Amino acid sequence: MKDSIVAENIYKTFTLSAKQRKIEKSASGRKVALDGLSFSAREGEIYGLLGPNGAGKTTMLRILATLIRADRGDAYIMGHSVTKEAEKVRSCIGFLTSELKLEDFFTPDYLFDFFGRLRGMDEDAIALRKRTLFSKFGIDLFSQVKVGDLSTGMKQKVSLAVSIIHDPAVIIFDEPTNGLDVLTAKVVTDFLSEMKEQGKTIIVSTHIFSLVEKLCDRVGVIIGGKMAAEGTIEEVCCGKTLEDAFFDIYKRTVQGA
Amino acid sequence: MKNVLTIMRKEFARFFKDKRLVLGTLILPGVLIFAVYTLMGSAFNDSTQTYTVKVVHSSSAFVQMFETGDGGESVFSFEEAEEEDADAICESIRSGDVDALVVLPENFDAILAGGQFLPSGSAPEIQIFYDSTETSSYSAYNAIASVLTAFESAYGSLYSINFTGGGDLTSAQEASAEYYAMLLPFLVLVFLYSGCMGIAPESIAGEKERGTIATLLVTPIRRSELVVGKILSLSALSVLSAVSSFIGTFLSLPKLMGQGYGDAFAAYSVGQYFALFAVMITAVLLIVTLISILSSLARSVKEATTYAVPLMILVMLVGVSSMFFGAGGAAWPVFLIPVYNIVQVMAEIFSLRFSVVHFLITVASNLVYVVLLVLLLAKMFNNEKIIFNK
Ligand SMILES: Nc1ncnc2c1ncn2[C@@H]1O[C@H](COP(=O)(O)OP(=O)(O)OP(=O)(O)O)[C@@H](O)[C@H]1O
Ligand SMILES: [Mg+2]
Repeated sequence: MKDSIVAENIYKTFTLSAKQRKIEKSASGRKVALDGLSFSAREGEIYGLLGPNGAGKTTMLRILATLIRADRGDAYIMGHSVTKEAEKVRSCIGFLTSELKLEDFFTPDYLFDFFGRLRGMDEDAIALRKRTLFSKFGIDLFSQVKVGDLSTGMKQKVSLAVSIIHDPAVIIFDEPTNGLDVLTAKVVTDFLSEMKEQGKTIIVSTHIFSLVEKLCDRVGVIIGGKMAAEGTIEEVCCGKTLEDAFFDIYKRTVQGA
Repeated sequence: MKNVLTIMRKEFARFFKDKRLVLGTLILPGVLIFAVYTLMGSAFNDSTQTYTVKVVHSSSAFVQMFETGDGGESVFSFEEAEEEDADAICESIRSGDVDALVVLPENFDAILAGGQFLPSGSAPEIQIFYDSTETSSYSAYNAIASVLTAFESAYGSLYSINFTGGGDLTSAQEASAEYYAMLLPFLVLVFLYSGCMGIAPESIAGEKERGTIATLLVTPIRRSELVVGKILSLSALSVLSAVSSFIGTFLSLPKLMGQGYGDAFAAYSVGQYFALFAVMITAVLLIVTLISILSSLARSVKEATTYAVPLMILVMLVGVSSMFFGAGGAAWPVFLIPVYNIVQVMAEIFSLRFSVVHFLITVASNLVYVVLLVLLLAKMFNNEKIIFNK
């Protein structure tokens, strides 16, 4: 099987402000967020990045989405380099996180058309796609309501619809179920499974074990910006529950360091 | 290019669908400025003022023209004068002791009463002397001229007012032009700046603050397309806002000075209006890109507004510079200095010393600066530390 997402030896450091430096107790003034991270996700699978707070999951996904640049190393999405072919990468991914907001002032209907145009789609294709996605996520009734007046769950659904407007081959999702009630969370996980059925490659980040167990084909455990363990759920668990396996890996990594 | 248009369309939609923004940046400034200036104007030119007017060959018919119908006191106090004193009176007009001098034909009463036959073109003349740099003299002139003009047609053109024979003792155009030359560049800059301030920080720092710009950054459009789309739409909106303020000012300044609208408008040629507009456009582009750069450095609208204060002070100081250094006569390299060149060209236009060369240097150099700044901004949009620093 082809590797749709490949990360090779990614390093990323952040310069800390004076205040952050005190909190982090870092003398150098730099925080290493990713420390030579490598992994790959195959076509048609759901890959989970699992890790505690501050492990570097969000940083990794932002690099894949070309929002920030790695200091060293490169990543490839459908064969396009995130550092050298950022625009090509962006046209074949759908990136979703709760930090990407839609303008409160506009209606879902308007925003869908707007982002469709920015994706280079023609009006007919946009209209067709809008009908499909709006009815799928139940946005129809709210299509003329300003985003600012929508509930958190509905906002998330609109963001979801807008981010996959161009039917991307790769979907990158940071904390897919954060802040959602069980019903909306289920809509999202069902949607991800369905995308997988359609042959899309999906990478999600999370610190929720059950989500990984339910959804992911393979998982990479990140601790301190390094890959601590990688493989199918069975391989990583070694017969234990994912949670117990994680604590073992965590202990091993922290003591080894 | 298509993406630039898509971005612009969205920015316009954002603006025009928001009644608060439209009211606050397009309608209110013009209306408020007009209202305030007109009020100030009527306070300055209060009607209780009386004008001292010397009249050579005074006539009762002439004085009657100025008597108010309700028997109230006339605002004019007419004093008889001799023809040979004319020069001395003109001096007093310049010094402000006398407001105007009217020279009537010798037998004015007889001409009006007798209706003696006059071949056309030989109507006896009336001359009016005044000084347009003295506000009260200028209003006196306007009042007398309009009354005489009204009666001129009523009396079947038995006399004509000879505006060239009498006249402004400075020079009508230059005098009011001097006033505009000093005040207007400053006002225009203030309006342009506040127009940009109402729109640009909201569109750039605001989008950063609310996290909506990141959504745009993950679409395949280039950062430069986003920058150009934003700058162009913000400039267009700022121009609209500036036009609103400008119309308000232009309509009210004559009131403020107590003169008729016509004179103010007639002083400039179509070409000069075009030049003024072109310079204003480059000013808007320059200010919008500068504020946009500051806004993209800021994390929030509030921060952007704070960053913009020093720039505003700088721009305002340059704006009042024409009052100290005067307008016109500057060497051409001066017109390469951004913002200052805008003030100087505007001052030249308003003081009727328009120079095409200075105008072209200004427009060209400003466009170069804008292009460089837009490139810088596009670079900044590519920098995660700037555009993605939450
Ligand atoms: N812009 C930044 N400036 C400074 N430090 C940063 C910045 N972004 C991230 N970091 C640091 O890098 C590390 C990794 O952060 P990241 O957000 O990727 O973690 P995460 O795995 O997503 O954590 P969480 O589960 O809490 O979302 C953290 O220690 C964080 O403080
Ligand atoms: Mg995170």
